[in-house]
Amino acid sequence: MATRPLGVEVPGVALALRRPGAWTVLARFCRKKPLGAIGGFLMLVILFTAVFANQLQTHDPIATDAGQSLARPGADHWLGSDHLGRDIYSRIVHGARVSLIVGLASTLLGSVLGGVIGLLSGYVGGKTDLITQRVMDILQGLPLLVLALVMSAALGPSIPNVVIAISIPIIPRAARVIRASVLSIREMQYVEAARAVGLRHLRIAFRHILPNTVGPFIVLCTAQLGSAILVEAALSFLGLGVPEPYPSWGRMLSVSAAEYAQKAPWLVLFPGLAISLAVFGSNLLGDALRDTLDPRLRGA
Amino acid sequence: MTRSTRIVALAMSLGLAAAFAGAAPASAQAPKYGGHLNLMQREDLSQGFAVHETSTIATSFPSMPCFNNLVVFDQSKRAETVDNLVGELAEKWSWQDNYRNLVFFLRKDVKWHDGQPFTSKDVKFTFDMVREAPEAAAKLRINPRKDWYTNVEKIEAPDPYTVVFHLKRPQPGLLVMLASGYSPVYAAHVNPASYRTGCIGTGPFKLKEWRKGEFVDYVKNTDYFMKGRPYLDTLRYVVIKERGTRTAALQAGQLDVSFPGETTKTAAEQLKKAVPGLVITPVAQAVSDNIILNTKKPPFDNPKVRLAVSYAIDRRALISAVHQGGAVPGASQQPKPYGVWGLLEKDLLALPGYGKPADMKAHAKKLLAEAGITPQNPLRVEMSTRAIAMYVDLASFVINELKQVGIEATLKQVETAQWHPMATRGEYQIGANLTGLGVDEPDANYYENYACGSPRNYSQYCSEEVMKMIEQQSQELNPQKRLALVSALQKKVEADAARPLLDWRLDYFTVWPHVKGLVPHDNIYNFGRMADVWRDKQ
Amino acid sequence: MKTYIAQRLGIGLLTLLGMSIVIFGMLRLAPGDIVDILFSTGGYVNPSERAAIEKELGLDRPVWVQYVEWIRQIVTGDLGKSYRYDLPAWEIIRPLIPVTLELAVLSLIVAVALGVPLGVISAVRQDTGLDYALRVFSLAGLSMPSFWLGMVIILSLVAWLGWIPPVTYVSPRENFWLHAVQFTLPALAVGYRSSALIMRITRSSLLEVMREDYIRTARAKGQSGRVVIWRHALQNAILPVVTVIGIEFAFLIGGLVVTETVFNLPGVARFLVEAILWRDYPIVQNLVMFIAIVVILSNLFVDMLYGFLDPRVRYGH
Repeated sequence: MATRPLGVEVPGVALALRRPGAWTVLARFCRKKPLGAIGGFLMLVILFTAVFANQLQTHDPIATDAGQSLARPGADHWLGSDHLGRDIYSRIVHGARVSLIVGLASTLLGSVLGGVIGLLSGYVGGKTDLITQRVMDILQGLPLLVLALVMSAALGPSIPNVVIAISIPIIPRAARVIRASVLSIREMQYVEAARAVGLRHLRIAFRHILPNTVGPFIVLCTAQLGSAILVEAALSFLGLGVPEPYPSWGRMLSVSAAEYAQKAPWLVLFPGLAISLAVFGSNLLGDALRDTLDPRLRGA
Repeated sequence: MTRSTRIVALAMSLGLAAAFAGAAPASAQAPKYGGHLNLMQREDLSQGFAVHETSTIATSFPSMPCFNNLVVFDQSKRAETVDNLVGELAEKWSWQDNYRNLVFFLRKDVKWHDGQPFTSKDVKFTFDMVREAPEAAAKLRINPRKDWYTNVEKIEAPDPYTVVFHLKRPQPGLLVMLASGYSPVYAAHVNPASYRTGCIGTGPFKLKEWRKGEFVDYVKNTDYFMKGRPYLDTLRYVVIKERGTRTAALQAGQLDVSFPGETTKTAAEQLKKAVPGLVITPVAQAVSDNIILNTKKPPFDNPKVRLAVSYAIDRRALISAVHQGGAVPGASQQPKPYGVWGLLEKDLLALPGYGKPADMKAHAKKLLAEAGITPQNPLRVEMSTRAIAMYVDLASFVINELKQVGIEATLKQVETAQWHPMATRGEYQIGANLTGLGVDEPDANYYENYACGSPRNYSQYCSEEVMKMIEQQSQELNPQKRLALVSALQKKVEADAARPLLDWRLDYFTVWPHVKGLVPHDNIYNFGRMADVWRDKQ
Repeated sequence: MKTYIAQRLGIGLLTLLGMSIVIFGMLRLAPGDIVDILFSTGGYVNPSERAAIEKELGLDRPVWVQYVEWIRQIVTGDLGKSYRYDLPAWEIIRPLIPVTLELAVLSLIVAVALGVPLGVISAVRQDTGLDYALRVFSLAGLSMPSFWLGMVIILSLVAWLGWIPPVTYVSPRENFWLHAVQFTLPALAVGYRSSALIMRITRSSLLEVMREDYIRTARAKGQSGRVVIWRHALQNAILPVVTVIGIEFAFLIGGLVVTETVFNLPGVARFLVEAILWRDYPIVQNLVMFIAIVVILSNLFVDMLYGFLDPRVRYGH
C-alpha cells in the first residue's frame, strides 16, 4: 500500500492517474456509502454544536428559573425545561460539548496508548509480546463499564478522572487491534527488505508499519467513540461520571428526570435521543470507514 | 296521617339518618385485622437495625416496628409536643426534685422477641451505653447522640420495673428526646453489635427476614404488650434505589406507602393526577437546608462576610426555585405550625434574606464592601456540597445568588464518604448542607449543631454567649420563659450567621387509600411504629 | 485437547491473579473507605472511634498484608466478610448469582434469536431497502443507552397501563408466569442491544461466504437458493458468529449493571454498584473476580465450540 511513482510516463494516461483531490474522495465516499455519509453528517452536526454551544444556546444552561419549572416545549423553551427551570435545549447543546470532549479524549487517549503498546508488542514479539498480551488480557477481562466504574470510584468525580477511567478499558482493545494489524504487515516483503538493508527497528516500526495501521486505527477510534459516549452516560447516570455543573446527557437522565417523567416526558426523551444520535452517527461513520479503508476487517 | 304523609315522613327520617351516617367521622370505621403492606425503602439499611449507631432515616424508619421507646409521640397525632407524649415501655413517669430526676414506672407484661422478659435492666443498659457512662456494660462502635445525654449523672434501676434518670441539673427537654425514633431500648442480654444484622426488640413486629439490598420482612408480634395490636399481619420494606422506578412502583400500586421525606410537591401533583385516589398529606420533615461557613479560616472568619452571605440568599426565591414551593421559611428551630419553638412571623421577617430581594442584596454588598470586597476585588470561594442531587440543586441556586452580590463561588462536589471528614476537619470554605433533627427539641438541636466542640458543629462556631444561652434555656422550667429564651437564641445564631438557615423542607407523604391509621408527623424520624396501621380490604 | 484446556485454564488463572492485584489496588486508591461511609451514616467523625473500627476490620494493616490475606482466604475457599453487612461475603453473593446468570442467558437467547435471522435476511436481500432498514434498526439498538431503554419501558408502562413488572424478585417456583414477566422485559432490553453486533457479523460473514466459489458452483448445479443458503452458507458463516457471541457475553454483563438497577432485579451487577459506593472491598473484589471468571470461562467455551464446529481448526499439539 506504499505509494511509489510510476516508472512509465504515458501521455494522456498520466492525467487520469493523478491522485484524486480530497473533495472527489469525499463525494465518492458519500455516493458509495450513503449510511456512512449520514453518520458523518450527524457527527459534524454534533461537533458543530459542541464548538458553538455558547452561540447556539438560548438560555444559560445552569441558570435556574423557578417560574419555568417543567415548562412544556414551546417558543420560550424549545425542548422544555427541567424541575429547576433550566432550559433543556441549552443543556443538551452544552452536553454535546461534554460528551464529545470526554468521548474523544478518552477514545484518543486509550487508543493512542493502546496503539503504541500494540505496535511495539506486535513488532518486537517474543517474550515482551507474551507478557504484554497477558497484561492486556487482565485489563480486558472485565466489561468496559465495570472497569470504568471501579476506576471512576477510585479516582473521584471530575472530568479528567472520568476521561482516564473510560480510556483504561479502551487500551487493551486498541492494543489488540493494532497488534493484529502489525503482525500481518510485519511479514510483508518491503519490511523484510527494509530490515535487510539494515534500517533500525524503531525506524522501521514508525516509518513503515505505523502509517499502514492508520486505517485500522481510525476504524478502531470511531468504534470506540460510541462505546465511550455510552459508558460516560452510564457512569453519569449511576452518579459516578461528570460532576455538576457541567451538563452531561447521562446525568440529565438520572434522578429527577425519571421522577417527573410523566408530567414532563421531554426530560427523559431528549437527552436519551441526543446520546443515541451521537452514538448512532459514530457507529454509521465507523462502519462505512471500515468498509472503505480495510475490507479485510469487514468480517472481524 | 295520610299514606303520602307517612311516606314523606319515612323518607325524611331515612334522609336524616343517612345524613348523620355520612357526617360521622371517618375514624368511626372499625379497624380490620390482617393484611400486608409494602412500604417504600429508598436505600438498603445502613447498619441494619442498629439505630443507636446511625442517624439516618434509612435505618430508623424501617427499624421502628421492631422496637419500643420508654415514651413516644402519639402515633395518631401529627404534632410532636410534650402534651402528645404517650407511654410505651413506661406506664407512668414523673419528674421529681424540680426536674432533676426523671422516674419511669415500667410495664410488667413486656417480653423481648426471643421470649426474655423486659426489665429496668434493659433501660439502664441502653442509656448507660449511649451516654458512655464509665460503668456501661457495652460500647457502641459509632455514637452520634452521646451529646443528648451529657446532663445525665446516673441511671438507677432500683427494682425491675422502675428506672430513675438522675440529672446534673434540671432539663425538661430530656423527656422529649427520649420519645424520638432515635431512642429505642436495646436488650441487655444481647450484644449491641447484633443489631447490625438482626433485631431483638419488644415492638409490634418481629423481624422475619432481611434480604440484603432487597427487602425487610416483618411478621406480627402476637405477644405484643398492647392487646389488640398490631392490626397488620406482615410488613415489607422494599428497597428500590432507582428513583424513577420507585415512583412508578408507588403509582402502580406495588408499594402502598411512600418513604418519609421522599415525595416532593411536584412529584405529589403528578402522582395525584395519575391516581386521584391517593391520599397525600403535606407535613414538615424536620429537615432544613442550611449553609455551613468555616468560621476558623478566611474569609468567613469575618462575621460581616458571613452575614452578607445570609443576606444575599433570597429565602422565598429559594423555596420557589429549588422546592417548587414545597418548603417553608424558618430559623434554626422548625417554624410554626410545624414546630412549637418557631419564631413569630414578625421576628422571622426581620431576619436576613426575608425582606425585599433588592434591599437584601444591596445590604449584602454594603457588608462586603466594609470587608474590602467590591466588584473590582471580588471574593472567590469554593462551595462544597455532597454529590447528591438534593444538595447540588441547593448549591447551584445559592451560587447564583452569591454571584449577584460579588461572591464568585465554584461548585465542588464531595463524595459521601468524604463529606463529614471534610466538614469536621474544616477543610472547606462554604458548604451547602441539609440537617435532619431527630426531635423538635432545642437541646437536641443546639447541643448537636451549635455547641462548642460538637462534632456536628461543622462551622466550628464557638460563642461563649451562645453556650450560656443554650445552657440557660435547657434548664428553664417555665414553658413561656423557655420559648422566649429559645427565640432569642434563634435570633442570635442567625445574627452571627455561622450556619445561616435557609428553609425547612416539606414532605408530601403519600399512601394508597386502603392504608389506614398511618399518620405522618412533622418529623420524618418518629412515626414509623406501625402498630395502629390497618388495611382496609377492597 | 486436554493440554489445550489446561493451558488456557492456567493462563486464565494467571490473568485472574493479575486482575486481582489491579482491582485490589484500584479500590484502595479510592478516596474514603468503609469506615468513612459508616461514620457518614452516623453524621459525624471521631478519630479515635474511627481508629477502633479500622482495627476491627483489619484496615490498619499494610496494604500488601491485606492482599496476601485476601488471596489466602480465597484459596481456602473463604471469601471474607462484607464490611457493610458483617456477614460472609459468599452468603450475600450466592443468591445474586442465579438472577444475573438467568438474565444474561435470557438476554443472549434474545440476542441470537433476533440477530441471526435478521442478519440472514439482511444478507440475502443485500442493499435493498429492507437491508438498510434492518441495519438501521439493529444499529439503533447498539446506539441507545441500555438504561435509557429500560427507563422508557418502565415509564411508558406505568403511564399507559398503570402497571410495571414486579419490583421484588419473584422466583420461578413461587409464580412462574410472574417470574417470566419480570425477566422478559429486561432480557428484551439487553438482548436487543446485543443483537446488533450478532446481526452485523451474521450478515457480513454470510455475504463473504456467499461469494465463494463453491456456493456459485452449487447454484450453477441447480440447487435451490434457500437450500444453498441454509445448508452451505450458514454452516460456514457460523464460526465468526459464535466468536462474536462469546465476546458479546462479556459486553452484555456491563449492560446488566444498569438494567438490573432500573428494573430492580437483585443480581450481581446491581449489588456491585452499591458495594463500590460503599467501599465494601470484600464484596467488590469477589464480585469483580466472579465476573472475570465468567468472562474467561465463556471465552474458553467459545473457543472450544469454535474448534468443535470447524474441523479445520484443531487445538493442542
